[in-house]
Amino acid sequence: MSADPLQALASAGKGESTRGLLRVIILALIAGASIASRLFSVIRFESIIHEFDPWFNFRATKYLVANGFYNFWDWFDDRTWHPLGRVTGGTLYPGLMVTSGAIYHALRALTIPVDIRNICVLLAPAFSGLTAVAAYLLTNEMTPSSSAGLLAALFMGIAPGYISRSVAGSYDNEAIAIFLLVFTFYLWIKALKQGSMLWGALCALFYGYMVASWGGYAFITCLLPLHSFVLICMGRYSTRLYVAYTTWYALGTLASMQIPFVGFLPVKTSEHMPALGIFGFLQLLAFLDYVRSAIPSRQFQTFLWLFAGGTFGIGLLGLVIATSAGVIAPWSGRFYSLWDTGYAKIHIPIIASVSEHQPTAWPAFFFDLNMLIWLFPVGVYLCFQQLADEHVFIVVYALFGSYFAGVMVRLMLTLTPVVCVAAAIAVSTLLDTYLSTKSPKPEESQAVEGAEGKKAKSGLKSTSKPMVGVYSIWGKSMMVSALAVYLLLFVLHCTWVTSNAYSSPSVVLASRLPDGSQHIIDDYREAYQWLRQNTREDAKIMSWWDYGYQIGGMADRPTLVDNNTWNNTHIATVGKAMSSSEEVSYPIMRQHEVDYVLVVFGGLLGYSGDDINKFLWMVRIAEGIWPDEVSERAFFTQRGEYRVDAEATETMKNSLMYKMSYYNYNNLFPPGKAVDRMRGVHLPEVGPTLSTMEEAFTSENWIIRIYKVKDLDNLGRDHMSAAAFDRGQKKKKATKKRGPRLLRVD
Amino acid sequence: MRSFLSLFVFLFAAAVSAISTSGNRLLVILDDVADKENYSQFLGDLESRGFQISFENPKSESLALFHLGERSYDHVILFPTRSKGLGPNLTPNILVDFMNADGNVLVTLSSGVSAPSSLVSLLSELDIQLPTDRTGLVVDHFNYDTTSAADKHDVLVLPRPSPIRPDVKDYFGEGIGKDAVLAFPRGVGAALGASELLTPIIRAPRTAYSYNPKEQTEVVDDLFAAGEQLSLVSAFQARNSARFTLVGSAEMLQDKWFDAEVSQADGKKATKTFNREFAKRVSGWTFNEIGVVRVNWIEHHLDEAGATNESNPGIYRIKNDVKYTISLSEYSWTTWTPFTVPTDDALQLEFSMLSPFHRLALQADAAHGSDSAAAYSATFKLPDQHGIFNFKINHKRPLLSNVEEKNTVSVRHMAHDEWPRSFVITGAWPWIAGVGVTVAGWVGFCALWMYSAPVDGKGGVKKTQ
Repeated sequence: MSADPLQALASAGKGESTRGLLRVIILALIAGASIASRLFSVIRFESIIHEFDPWFNFRATKYLVANGFYNFWDWFDDRTWHPLGRVTGGTLYPGLMVTSGAIYHALRALTIPVDIRNICVLLAPAFSGLTAVAAYLLTNEMTPSSSAGLLAALFMGIAPGYISRSVAGSYDNEAIAIFLLVFTFYLWIKALKQGSMLWGALCALFYGYMVASWGGYAFITCLLPLHSFVLICMGRYSTRLYVAYTTWYALGTLASMQIPFVGFLPVKTSEHMPALGIFGFLQLLAFLDYVRSAIPSRQFQTFLWLFAGGTFGIGLLGLVIATSAGVIAPWSGRFYSLWDTGYAKIHIPIIASVSEHQPTAWPAFFFDLNMLIWLFPVGVYLCFQQLADEHVFIVVYALFGSYFAGVMVRLMLTLTPVVCVAAAIAVSTLLDTYLSTKSPKPEESQAVEGAEGKKAKSGLKSTSKPMVGVYSIWGKSMMVSALAVYLLLFVLHCTWVTSNAYSSPSVVLASRLPDGSQHIIDDYREAYQWLRQNTREDAKIMSWWDYGYQIGGMADRPTLVDNNTWNNTHIATVGKAMSSSEEVSYPIMRQHEVDYVLVVFGGLLGYSGDDINKFLWMVRIAEGIWPDEVSERAFFTQRGEYRVDAEATETMKNSLMYKMSYYNYNNLFPPGKAVDRMRGVHLPEVGPTLSTMEEAFTSENWIIRIYKVKDLDNLGRDHMSAAAFDRGQKKKKATKKRGPRLLRVD
Repeated sequence: MRSFLSLFVFLFAAAVSAISTSGNRLLVILDDVADKENYSQFLGDLESRGFQISFENPKSESLALFHLGERSYDHVILFPTRSKGLGPNLTPNILVDFMNADGNVLVTLSSGVSAPSSLVSLLSELDIQLPTDRTGLVVDHFNYDTTSAADKHDVLVLPRPSPIRPDVKDYFGEGIGKDAVLAFPRGVGAALGASELLTPIIRAPRTAYSYNPKEQTEVVDDLFAAGEQLSLVSAFQARNSARFTLVGSAEMLQDKWFDAEVSQADGKKATKTFNREFAKRVSGWTFNEIGVVRVNWIEHHLDEAGATNESNPGIYRIKNDVKYTISLSEYSWTTWTPFTVPTDDALQLEFSMLSPFHRLALQADAAHGSDSAAAYSATFKLPDQHGIFNFKINHKRPLLSNVEEKNTVSVRHMAHDEWPRSFVITGAWPWIAGVGVTVAGWVGFCALWMYSAPVDGKGGVKKTQ
């Protein structure tokens, strides 16, 4: 034994049970690796919730944990969208919060008290481990080679396209939704292969969980019917398909309708119609199948044509009538923008203003998927080679997913699983081909070739080509080592991307000092903490909607608008207040009971994500509602430039946003030397004046500036003259006025 | 608001001798302290009403309205001063700050003395205009005192003041004889702007006008104001209910006019003036002794059968029935009395989110009233709109302190288990029946299917082929 350990090891891997054990260990290691690679942000910064939406999810989770499920279900949130409030319990996908709430309570029941924040922070990495396992299972359904499954699990675990939405702290719906997506697909394939109601029901169950978790469930709702439709068109209708699909659709739709936010959408909106249509179509096919077995084929032919024509006509007529009558809602704007990337820019600025709704740039594919992107077509091609029902699924998914990933950046996420599966099939096929130590003997292959040649004479030319084997060890090792290098590079790339691009909490900014050490810029939390400690608990904060969730989560203060952009008019109102002059915006702020206004200003630090850079979106959104009062053109100079320096237009200089951004900024610099480092321009010597509000707080690096809205003047003056009086300027004598004397009427 | 109120009550309890609702520290600013002899009756009346009077010269170093950011006095009377300005301790900004800090100011003018420039700029902030060159004289060739101003016609004899609007309480003319007259000797008239915080207490008669006795001796070419546009005594009440009164003639507060007899041109017999009573009322109004409304408490609760009796809940549901009650008192010289709304006025409640969804006149609620307070209430159904609403009372009337109350409540949507059950809704019965039929049919079909096993194996096989 000691004499030949290598052989012993080799023989150890041969037994079926040993292999099973190895597979489990490898899978566990992969899951561990996928969790570990997502912890950069926790190690670099701290255990903190990232970005914007996660802050809302975190807040909702805390509410759920504190108030119980029923209160959460009926939650009316009076601390957002002031003064409209938000029926939060009925307008969110509760899956994520319920999941972490369940984990929290389970851990407590096991007497492991873990802070709910830590559960929320680490939920995404934990679920990414499960996603890796789900990818393994899905791939195993495609190919008998178990190495493909393990490779798929590995790819899934570390592909940046998925990591981008699932690093520790990125507590968003996608964190659990991708696992559910892959697992639902696995169950669907399983149900389809076996024609099993049990698997179909399980598929429906996980579909229901998916619906409860993410708006992207529509992807499944469209993909499964599409797959079924393609199978039917290929003449592969079978009772297996019938059982799997009808079970999934009936139970899954019922499950999805239990979510208040979804409600009756599955029977009302166009996005859900394909699933319903295929459901009906399958019933017809099953009926026809039965009729065919019951009547002679000649009569059946006529029956079929009449029946098919009639059904199609009635169905189409019904759809048209229902749509025009408004029973079925027309396609939503977000859906149109999936087909026409220019649609949103013209019609719905609020959708276009979100960066993740932009079309994907080509380099992003390589950045997020690296070598998988060129292995992906190979895998799809290999699927064509076999083309069983499940391979059709991969092909359909690949087409569907690639299109949508090209349209919207965020849909890269739904493409990643199929890329991982297809690439894993490709790599494992390559490895299986080149790693087999046994070389075929030339005469053997000749014999095989001969037999094949005879058989396939009538076939296509390409299939009759002589079969070629790999004979040389040298060639094999070259190929295998090249592939190994690629795989290693892939790991390097993934780690690099994760560490550099996707692990910033964006709440805390990091910069490098000249000596290479890390410098943390913590203005956001400084400002939110200031709000929390220095303002009344019900002080209303107005800011652009990007910061709504963060203010709600970190400062715990009511906001006017937030990242749940359900009310475009309310957002436009804030946009109007920001882009109008003080005289116009003050009544708006009074009406909405605004106490403080928060703006983000990057001029001192050169921080690009500030409000002046987003300002045009505010103007556009406000212009969409009040085209007579707000005009985007007025913010551009004669020559069509967007400027903030002395050349800026009067509208720009008088706008509240400009004034709040640059108020008192001059005092930081020697006279006339004020410079905006973000936009790289010199500012006018005299800064703007504010009379309806006063500066309340400015953070260390001037990123966040908070202003307090003044009350109405006690003596009934307008704010301009009150401010002038406070500065010591004398009022002009009213008696010098020309024209008829103004008489007082009581 | 509540803390403000309790502070109010506390102050009231602490200074028992104080008669005003907002403290009794009164500062009188005079050029020469000896001048106070002229006003001995007026000041004596104030003292007898419980005010502690301090006298200061405007130029005095020790004069300070604020000490460590707190008001040193509750009220200020400014008598005419000969200096051009009021000195560094009485700049208009300080006076504005004093009013912003709830201090009350009574300013008197005299035509013989031109008003200090800082006073003029303060007045212009309040939207009150004085004649050019800061001086003027109001004369009336029809309503003058024939005994004292037979030639100059500058001692006006005015009838009893009447309220400017029918829905405003008559604080200054109430209970005074119909024929009683008021002497207004050598006063300055002011022109009031359109500000809604201003109220003229006494307007000049239609035949009166203002001129500059120094420059316009021969002919009045540039008329400042005439008739009712000329306000002789004006009241200003800031948004925080701080009061400011401008009395055009300081002389009318002097002892010699308090019980003087005046006679009018139409030959009627000489009548006694009621200047003393008027001075009491003007100073009483300015120093918060009359016309002060206090909100004692506000209560709102669910008004539904079987609902909990919780007071002032933070959240309601849409379409709840709600009762709102507010208790108000009005101060009248020495006691709090129930606040009554004039017959052609109404106390209104708004239930609003961005704009009012309800605007209701509150009805007197005798059950919650008392000797010193009146309760008003309204019962209504909340709108079918969820959101953050305010119960808003915004009762602002001339001469009455402002009542501006806002109680915020959330109105939530129907919870998932608050809807009527399906079997209660008659329209749902066909569907419920449909569910029942389907279930029964399926069970029946299963039973039939399992019961009717194929009799002959061969026949079955043939049929499926």
